[in-house]
Amino acid sequence: MPALTFPLSRIEGHARVVIDIEGDTVTSASFQCTEFRGFKHLVQGVPAEQMTVIVPRICGVCSTAHHIASVKALEDAFGIEPPPLACRLRELLLLGQLIQSQATSLFIFTMPDRLGTSSIFDPVQEKDQDERSQLASRALAVRRVGTHLITVAGGQFIHPVKAVVGGMTSGIEPDAAAALSHELAAQLPQACELFDLYIRKSLELSDRIGTWGDDAPAYYLSAVSDSLPNYDGDDIRLLGPDGSVSTFSARSHRDYLTYEQPDYSYSGRTSYRGEALRANSLARVNLTESMGTPLADGYLKRFRAAFGRPAHAILLFDLARGIELVYAIERAIQILATPLNEEDTDIPYTPRDGEGYGLVEAPRGPLIHHYVIKDGLVADAEFVIPTVHNIKSIERALMVAARRYITGKRIDMELEHAVGRVVRAFDPCIACATH
Amino acid sequence: MKTFAVLQLAGCAGCEVSLLNADEWMGGYRLAYMPLVISAHDVPEVDLLLVSGGVRNEEDLYNLRRAAPQAGKVVAIGTCAISGGVASLGDRDDVREVFLADRERHHVPHLLPKCRPIDAVVPVDQYLPGCPPTPELFMALLTEPPGFKTGAIVCVECRRKKLKDMRPSRFAGFQRGEVEPDICLINQGFLCIGSSTRGGCRAPCPRAGHPCVGCRGPSDSLIEKESAVWMSSIRRVISGLTDIPAAEIDHELRSPHLSLFLFQFSDYSSPGRTPRPKEKVM
Ligand code: SF4
Ligand code: SF4
Repeated sequence: MPALTFPLSRIEGHARVVIDIEGDTVTSASFQCTEFRGFKHLVQGVPAEQMTVIVPRICGVCSTAHHIASVKALEDAFGIEPPPLACRLRELLLLGQLIQSQATSLFIFTMPDRLGTSSIFDPVQEKDQDERSQLASRALAVRRVGTHLITVAGGQFIHPVKAVVGGMTSGIEPDAAAALSHELAAQLPQACELFDLYIRKSLELSDRIGTWGDDAPAYYLSAVSDSLPNYDGDDIRLLGPDGSVSTFSARSHRDYLTYEQPDYSYSGRTSYRGEALRANSLARVNLTESMGTPLADGYLKRFRAAFGRPAHAILLFDLARGIELVYAIERAIQILATPLNEEDTDIPYTPRDGEGYGLVEAPRGPLIHHYVIKDGLVADAEFVIPTVHNIKSIERALMVAARRYITGKRIDMELEHAVGRVVRAFDPCIACATH
Repeated sequence: MKTFAVLQLAGCAGCEVSLLNADEWMGGYRLAYMPLVISAHDVPEVDLLLVSGGVRNEEDLYNLRRAAPQAGKVVAIGTCAISGGVASLGDRDDVREVFLADRERHHVPHLLPKCRPIDAVVPVDQYLPGCPPTPELFMALLTEPPGFKTGAIVCVECRRKKLKDMRPSRFAGFQRGEVEPDICLINQGFLCIGSSTRGGCRAPCPRAGHPCVGCRGPSDSLIEKESAVWMSSIRRVISGLTDIPAAEIDHELRSPHLSLFLFQFSDYSSPGRTPRPKEKVM
């Protein structure tokens, strides 16, 4: 039997899945990223300080994460620490990014899988009118509040500019903070309502297909702390299937993680001692003790009661995203209630040559930028991308799905949907993965 | 109802993400194809085709050639599609070698020798520059609101004051943290190129204290001229506001700052290409 190729949509970027079958057996499932721009190469020789403007263009979905990782890498190289207010503002930026990204993944990328439609922009059938009325515009409104948060804290919501080496260009005026806080508070019930609908539809889906996504336990990787997860992270934690946790810095990532480059994809692939890793929402929710905000903790408690900790089923990535969406809105409101324009937002510095690492927890997992600077220019750059950590897990999960739906000479048409669901659960970002 | 499609070539999806913030089209258009948000595998016949991203590999080339004839009107969206964008940084000879070394890999679409703007492949009816174009500009493109107006250059929308008596004698660096509010960044020693850059973005970068890097490309008065003309226009503005020696301005303009906005401008100035007529540029 020839290989089966599945083009993918409702993910960021260009990728496909290829499943190889020999006789009656599925022999491999590969996740192939087909685009490449070569940021590692094209930033060679660029003035180091300009990286903060160039590298957000790696990805328009997670540009904020790249922007801050880049600033942090330069700060590490120059040996400076930004003032506390700058760190709070950066946390806000990353929360805005999280709202935007999780709302997109939940309501635009994966909701249609629950509704059996090709997109949330499809015309709504009469009988679904109640449940789905205004779904698209409500989803976009929740998403938009995240973009407004990034705009206020970062200057603009795609490719922000306000994080600079040494801090931020400015704080947030009380009026602007109050208006934003008001908007977030108005969207919070909307987000919960949409998430509740999402949970209901996910339950129906799992009843219909008979699983929340089968797969084996895995290692989980995240850079957030135990409670009130701060996405402006400093250390990476690795949770093993036996419950053990090891902690390491961005600087020593190669002591823990192994990278390989398959020739069927422009993306690399990470493993830990040969085993599959998982990053993204489920990793954070498994590693975090509590979210630390009331509504999000309510969802987390119900999630844990239903699925245990650590939870492993694949579709739970999607539910974990909803918990984070609620958390990010609640947490942003808390931070906006503190004074954000009364202290210095930056410190002076002198650029110098050397090497620096910048780490943040991007929506898809720990993101590291690593630069080597000579004569003020970038001599080498390394981008360690969260999606790359998930590729092996995606492929493992695809194998499970393929074996479930390909039996003997028969291929169940559900396979195509299953492939889409598996891939979207990991919410891969191909522009980032291949950069 | 009119229909439109969004074809994403080699880019960052930032253009699409911006479009998602401009949902006012939902009343007037049906979105027929946009793989980022819809499961559909081919571009159908549409009134309007928006193309983002540059032509980087064989698949981009194939998809663009197949999609363009389906559309009543083709619009190049974002700096990547119009002039190569950030990927043009890879077109320096030394860097290109690395790309070409990657070309022979078997199972992935082959890279083309150079990242190309889309009008090198298909005729383009309209251009919407920006990295990315703002939601407001997308809305203007799709809904054509009467009386929609933008500033001719970024300075007009930035509204920082250009002072005659605050004259730095050297550049302060690329960006240095907090800046004086309301005063032109050039007065504060930064290389801001808002004066030669097309307005319409509402100047989010310089207003936030970051020099404009020129992502909307040259303004109407410069777009049909060669790069030497907009270079000297930037030089004139900086000389008017600072006491920085001409040689130093030239040096900064050529290098190293040049690498920053070269990637925005590169294909506007390459020899032998006909300029984009300003009537077609939004
Ligand atoms: S023009 Fe800018 S925002 Fe649009 S795809 Fe290119 S890099 Fe991304
Ligand atoms: S040069 Fe820059 S900072 Fe000065 S007015 Fe123009 S856009 Fe604003």
